Amino acid sequence: KRRRVSENQEIEDRLESLILRVGEKSTSSLESNLEGLASVLEADLGTFRLKILRILTDCAIRMPEKCTIYTTLVGLLNAKNYNFGGEFVEYMVKTFKDSLKACKWNAARYALRFLADLVNCHVLSASSLLQLLDNMIDTANEDNVPQVRRDWYIFAILSTLPWVGRELYEKKEAALEHLLVSIEIFLNKRSKKHHNALRVWASDTPHPQEEYLDCLWSQIRKLRSDNWAEKHIPRPYLAFDSTLCEALQHNLPKIIPPPHQDSNKYPMPWVVFRMFDYTDCPEGPILPGTHSIERFLIEEHLHSIIELYHLERKDCAAHLLNFPYKLKIPLEYCIVEVIFAELFNMPSPRFLDIAYGAMLIELCKLQPSTMPQVLAQATEILFMRIDSMNVSCFDRLVIWFSYHLSNFQFRWSWEDWESCLSLDSEHPKPKFIKETMLRCMRLSYHQRIKEILPANFSCYIPEKAEAEYKYAKEGAAALPGTAAAHQLVVSFRQKCTPEEVLNVLKDLPNPRPDDDPASESRFNPLKIDVFVQTLLNLGSKSFSHSFSAISKFHYVFKILADCEEAQICILRNMFELWYNHQQMMIVLIDKMLKTQIVKCSAVANWIFAKEMCQEFTKNYIWEILHLTIKKMNKHIIKLGGELAEAREKLARAESSESEDEEEDEDKKKPEDAEKPTEEMVERMEEKLEAAQGDQKNLFLIIFQRFIMILSEHLVRCDTDGRDYNTHWYRWTIGRLQQVFLAHHEQVQKYSPTLETLLFTQDLDPHVLEVFHQFVSLQG
Amino acid sequence: SRGEQDKLLRLTTTLYVGNLSFFTTEEQIYELFTRCGDVRRIIMGLDKYKKTPCGFCFVEYYNREDAENCLRYVNGTRLDDRIVRTDWDAGFIEGRQYGRG
Repeated sequence: KRRRVSENQEIEDRLESLILRVGEKSTSSLESNLEGLASVLEADLGTFRLKILRILTDCAIRMPEKCTIYTTLVGLLNAKNYNFGGEFVEYMVKTFKDSLKACKWNAARYALRFLADLVNCHVLSASSLLQLLDNMIDTANEDNVPQVRRDWYIFAILSTLPWVGRELYEKKEAALEHLLVSIEIFLNKRSKKHHNALRVWASDTPHPQEEYLDCLWSQIRKLRSDNWAEKHIPRPYLAFDSTLCEALQHNLPKIIPPPHQDSNKYPMPWVVFRMFDYTDCPEGPILPGTHSIERFLIEEHLHSIIELYHLERKDCAAHLLNFPYKLKIPLEYCIVEVIFAELFNMPSPRFLDIAYGAMLIELCKLQPSTMPQVLAQATEILFMRIDSMNVSCFDRLVIWFSYHLSNFQFRWSWEDWESCLSLDSEHPKPKFIKETMLRCMRLSYHQRIKEILPANFSCYIPEKAEAEYKYAKEGAAALPGTAAAHQLVVSFRQKCTPEEVLNVLKDLPNPRPDDDPASESRFNPLKIDVFVQTLLNLGSKSFSHSFSAISKFHYVFKILADCEEAQICILRNMFELWYNHQQMMIVLIDKMLKTQIVKCSAVANWIFAKEMCQEFTKNYIWEILHLTIKKMNKHIIKLGGELAEAREKLARAESSESEDEEEDEDKKKPEDAEKPTEEMVERMEEKLEAAQGDQKNLFLIIFQRFIMILSEHLVRCDTDGRDYNTHWYRWTIGRLQQVFLAHHEQVQKYSPTLETLLFTQDLDPHVLEVFHQFVSLQG
Repeated sequence: SRGEQDKLLRLTTTLYVGNLSFFTTEEQIYELFTRCGDVRRIIMGLDKYKKTPCGFCFVEYYNREDAENCLRYVNGTRLDDRIVRTDWDAGFIEGRQYGRG
């Protein structure tokens, strides 16, 4: 018996490998391979029916690029065995419905596409497919559901039409027209407030930044005007027309999409990123136009290769460069455009920034004769159009470019960007160079940066990242804290305790007036000054030295800074010492947040303080704000997860106690043993609530400060009769937009509060608009 | 034992990083490695006698997934013009930072 089992296993494995590999490079033609495989499978349908159904369905979903190969195979099997065809359709319909229910939107789209392509193979009737598409239109027209849900149904239909449009046009022209009219009506009514928030560039020249459904609709309209003739999709079933024509067709059962659930997550809308047209790649094959369906199909295919191989950068690069239609298109340009589209995707790229950076490095290594040039051309284009790029993408471009340069010996023709030297330093172009250099310096060192830039670019060389310790400078004697600072240095060297530090600081006078009613506590800014600057200066040798200094004297920090004002004072002193070392400030703040020396709200208020206005438009300030918000968000997510887990444990323990008491003891999972008490769960709830209160407070502070400085600017420009639209204004409103988008999932919860408290109707429309765009994102 | 070692390697969030330049600083490593996630600590490998960096370090992440991404995207790329090599490490133990120099 055992031998029988293993024999069957062997056959199953062989079938699986045959099915998986059909369509790969082979000595014989695809048609004869398909024919052969169909015969093999037909013979095994008796014993291995279920297995074959499962493998075929898996292939259909997991290798969407081979859709038409597998539909042809199913078509051939259906022609030989009508019942099997029917069972396959059932299986696929179930997959489609399950995917919808599980919110696996791409899997659902691939299942739908497969069903549609089965019409081409005479497995399904055209009219029953149209019925399904009509049902989907009805779903899209439902009221009181999020627009993202409705949009997805339309997107699913439109993205299926390239496969089956021609067949429907030939067989059911009127019904197809009716479907298209319904879609057009839907699209005309649709709100597109989110569009501006998701654009990479504010400007539409030279390439319009189209909303994804609008773009696909234009492509489908163009396809229709070409009588649905499309040149990209391989259609192996055409060779089997005479066989397939004789097969009987099935009808799809009535499929009603599952209703909306509040817990459903739908894909966010996006903007189709375009940076090239055919004039950018004058040699070789022509780049298909913006509204040709080929452009959509190529992009979708490249995106799916990236999705499939993003964990293996070398394989990913190899598969991208091995694109099946590479001779018909300017492949390098298509790849670069698609990778930047992912990197610049708003609100966030689907994979890590560095995943794309690593992919581009591999592509350059694998295709050194063409790829680096195309990438350089792309960089040049991105730089030329940087004036209207949104700030999130600006940041990502800086991060990518510095990383890329550091992998290629920092070689770049900086001379080409000389014209920037005459621009205002707040202009995005000089700012891009400056910020890129700061990042390059983090990856290398000061001397190296000096060497890579031409002499006339010296204004872009960052300051040397050194501590500025005022108590060791000339003239320090006149400062009120110098004596204590020097004493402190001696104590630190003698490995003193925190109590001894407090003792050294004890007699420093408090410069603040005794009866300041505005202040909540009696902290002493001079003590903080002497302590923070001296301690951090002593730890200045490296991050590790600083970190261990902080943790060793954590107690002193807590004693000296028990209120927010005092915590801001710590930050101010850290800045005074380290203003030339942005990366140090970032890691110090990160450390002080983690060790709860400073609160998130203190960091936010410090960033918006008057004395920081010189730093306000620099990238690192926003790096700090975002890491602060993220820290808070992570904390909330962690507490929420722990609470849910405890509740579940409690419920499980209760139900097992009441129901089956004779249950086997060792069956119980060990974690059930530590059943939480009601009180424990209650305490966790309180903790989460308190944390959510902090989070809400943090967002309120940030948005209120934004509103204040932006309104002030707008009013002042208005009274002075100046143009409000300055570089400062664009950076600041961009940063506001970035806070909304980068943390949209967390901010969303507080939308109603934000609307009633801050983003009220009397606000300047420019500022209010940013809020409205955000609200419409998940609308 | 071998089994325990394997288990540690399956769960660890620490990476051994090799082939660094002797002049590469903790700051530079931090900049590159945080692009894959939050770093808990970096321990520079030091020459046993001179106590100066000698071309390797340990990077510990908070999450396993971030360390996995580091192996995927940082391993085999450049820092300070040298190809960085990363590998799983069973976890840093005091004393292991001293290399042969």
